Amino acid sequence: MSQCSVKGITLRGVVCALPQHRVENDYFTGRFDEKTIKDVTELTGVSTRYMAAPEQTASDLCFAAADRLLEDLNWPRESVDAVIFVSQTPDQRMPATACILHGRLGLAPHCQAFDVGLGCSGYVYGAWLVSALMAIGLRRVLLLAGDTSSRMVDPNDRSTALLFGDAGSATAFEYDANAPLCYFDLGTDGKGANFLTVAGGGFRPVDPQATDANYLHMDGSSVFGFTIGTVPKLIKATLEQASTTKDQVDLFALHQANRFILRHIGKKLSLTPEQLPINIDQFGNTSSASIPLLLCADRVEQITTTPTTMLMAGFGVGLSWGAALFKDVQLQCASVITV
Amino acid sequence: MQNFYAGLAEILEVPVEQITPSFSLSEHNWDSMAVISCVALIDEEFGHIVSGSELVKCTSVADIQKLIPTATAG
Repeated sequence: MSQCSVKGITLRGVVCALPQHRVENDYFTGRFDEKTIKDVTELTGVSTRYMAAPEQTASDLCFAAADRLLEDLNWPRESVDAVIFVSQTPDQRMPATACILHGRLGLAPHCQAFDVGLGCSGYVYGAWLVSALMAIGLRRVLLLAGDTSSRMVDPNDRSTALLFGDAGSATAFEYDANAPLCYFDLGTDGKGANFLTVAGGGFRPVDPQATDANYLHMDGSSVFGFTIGTVPKLIKATLEQASTTKDQVDLFALHQANRFILRHIGKKLSLTPEQLPINIDQFGNTSSASIPLLLCADRVEQITTTPTTMLMAGFGVGLSWGAALFKDVQLQCASVITV
Repeated sequence: MQNFYAGLAEILEVPVEQITPSFSLSEHNWDSMAVISCVALIDEEFGHIVSGSELVKCTSVADIQKLIPTATAG
């Protein structure tokens, strides 16, 4: 794992955007039998999720979130120095979706725009990139993270069809010379690259006879083993790096992978339910948007009224993982909108 | 080992008395969800992470125990 600490970065606001179409578990009756739905629900914890309309993309959700965020913060569009789009469901193969968003948001020519193709760990990697950009002089950066994973799931695969939901997010980061140090710990294990895949859509030829090349394939038990073997250690290492105890952390904002995994991690680290919020029941696994969605949907009052020490951790497809610890963060705005 | 057997009985939805090293997994819902739950159970009871792909190949409780360094058969 690689560790680093950065001075002068703070979060100012977060907005998440959900599609309007809310899907309950009974939507799957008929495709799966009752026991399967019950067993999967018990394991994953997902009761409802939101699914994007056929013409709606992750960038549409992120655009709506970013537009609202800039309004709420009163940030002039020309004050944004960079926009990073983190997603595995981009609009097109080219150009980078961040460039499309740059145009739609009316950002200035000096503003950098680029994509990052990560999923569950992507939000933390994005925050780390933001901090690196600020260390070299940028002052205001938008991190847009979102996915429409529902488009990639095989409707007949019980392990993924009920698990994923769609969401987009926008987070505003700003340089603040007085902000406490923030800490990052990031890593990768490419040997597990085949545990979570969508083979089609790239340039590596796939079997033309394969009907499932554009579907998401997940080796659930291997991903689970990776997660419980990696994430508790990652969190402990990040706390150690920051000379912080787990009791000093107000909020562990973990990627909402699966309720069983989250409870297992919470038990291993002896975290209280107050420290470890879980909202996968309402939104499903929303990939790169799950951490900001946890902040906006579950902890608005806490993070907008009280200086909050939060540890974020993202983990999954890659295999890739990252944790970030921010001390005394108090946001000016946090909200969820539907589009 | 008692906690492990109790946990396994819960996962496989059978009475705990039935769980012995020779208990056949293949006849009792040894599916991907049971495997995931078993990975968690072994981590909890023995602090050891077993590979899901190894676990899925097990046909009896004794096979699972062989994957856990600190668990002795029986």
